[in-house]
Amino acid sequence: MAEGLLELRGVAKRFGGFQALAGVDLAVAAGEIVGLIGPNGSGKTTLINIASGVLAADAGDIRLAGRSLLHLPAHRRAALGLNRTFQVPRPFPTLTVRQNLEVAVPGAAAGRDPAALLDAVELAPFAGRRAGELTSVQQKLLDLARALATGPRVLLVDELATGLTPAELARVATRLRALAAEGLGLIVVEHLMAFIDRITDRVVVMNAGQVLFRGTLREAAKDRQVVDVFLGAPEPAA
Amino acid sequence: MLAYALATGIVFGLYFALVGIGMNLVFGVMRIVNLAHGDFIMLGAFSAFWLLAVLHLPPPAAIVLGFVAFFLAGLPVYYALVPRLARAREPEMLSLILFFGLSQTIEALAAMLFGNSERSIPGRLLGRGPVHLLGQTMPRAWVYAAAVSLAMLGLVWLYLHRTRLGRQTRAIMAARQEAVAIGIDIHRISAIAFGIGAGLAAVAGVFAPFMLGSFTPALGIPLDLTSFAVIVIGALGNPLGTVLGGVIFGVTLMLMRAYLSSFADLLPDLVLILVLLVRPAGLLGRQVRRA
Repeated sequence: MAEGLLELRGVAKRFGGFQALAGVDLAVAAGEIVGLIGPNGSGKTTLINIASGVLAADAGDIRLAGRSLLHLPAHRRAALGLNRTFQVPRPFPTLTVRQNLEVAVPGAAAGRDPAALLDAVELAPFAGRRAGELTSVQQKLLDLARALATGPRVLLVDELATGLTPAELARVATRLRALAAEGLGLIVVEHLMAFIDRITDRVVVMNAGQVLFRGTLREAAKDRQVVDVFLGAPEPAA
Repeated sequence: MLAYALATGIVFGLYFALVGIGMNLVFGVMRIVNLAHGDFIMLGAFSAFWLLAVLHLPPPAAIVLGFVAFFLAGLPVYYALVPRLARAREPEMLSLILFFGLSQTIEALAAMLFGNSERSIPGRLLGRGPVHLLGQTMPRAWVYAAAVSLAMLGLVWLYLHRTRLGRQTRAIMAARQEAVAIGIDIHRISAIAFGIGAGLAAVAGVFAPFMLGSFTPALGIPLDLTSFAVIVIGALGNPLGTVLGGVIFGVTLMLMRAYLSSFADLLPDLVLILVLLVRPAGLLGRQVRRA
């Protein structure tokens, strides 16, 4: 595993009798975008939840720039520069769109200017509106801007592309590439392969709580195990 | 009689909103039911007794001292109890049991230390002579209490809507996980909210002897019931819905006292049952998870 800005080592999690994660290693370097893909239930969001501090790991370690985050609460991880977006974003509905960003606590890297962030995700015209009035797609973009408002060094992006139009996807992809160019490390969980192909340097494929494959998306598409996981293994010959 | 019941109902309603708002703020932020809230009010009443009737401090000094002292006392109580509760599998249920125990402990200690006899404070300590308000004549102490209640409710609104800490509090009320993810320290904000809840209870306690006539260490549970009724009418988890709940409760109570006085004491229980059956989210309905 490559040395990374964020490193997850041997992360394991069990829910009752279900082994959600079984010793997962994952790393992302500064300026890199890693795609985290796999079928539903493979453990991608659980891994994001553990890295961001929403869930506690049963085993393993999480390091940001060499410092273990394992026993730090979520808000301290955010303060140190690890942030995330949510699969189903929930804005603070009675705060205005701008206030949703202003309540964020700037972390190790200085927080970003709310006005510039809203401009970047095309929500500037809605800055004074209550966030609860936004469409679901706008709420996703607000969630991204809100996460960036803390000035993260690593951003975990959980299924941002779902529901976006091709034009919106193109703009978000450009935005994520620009963030990586600024030195941000990104782990992007996504089912939309065209989007992953457009933005990632490499992908990690998960299945049943384990890493199945590491490499580029094109290499993954040729890997027999990966194809079996996504399309189903062929029936054995009679 | 109707006009008098409506006027005094509004005056008492504002006071009842103050009685309930601390409990609702704590529930909104922490999702725990502070059953010791009524006992905090009872302790506030004892504080008022000493500060006003014994030390003869001016009422504004008693109000400020009560708020500050209870706010500061609320912080260690929060850190001693709530973070442990939050880690439990069912914190809401556990909070009922734990804070009921705290309530009983406070009541027992108050009874041991101060005795069970009824105490009162002369109304003249809040000013002499009646006041004409809303076309009616009523004791000055009632109007004083209603005015301070209104001011405190306004300050809560200003805190929640015009300060960064208040907006972070509303963020936690709306989406806890997302608030934590953007770096908000949930325990710091919650401890402040708990302290404010205790401080508001103290201020409500300062006026309890004037509004309720007298007080004993057993005042806590009846005030918990009143608080429940007020916040359930408005909207559980929405502190500002408490104002609506308080006024409706106050007017209804005064109408009951005017026309069905024998049943007036049943009002909190009846209102609780009725609202929970007909509109469990409160009159502000969908606002229940928002601030």
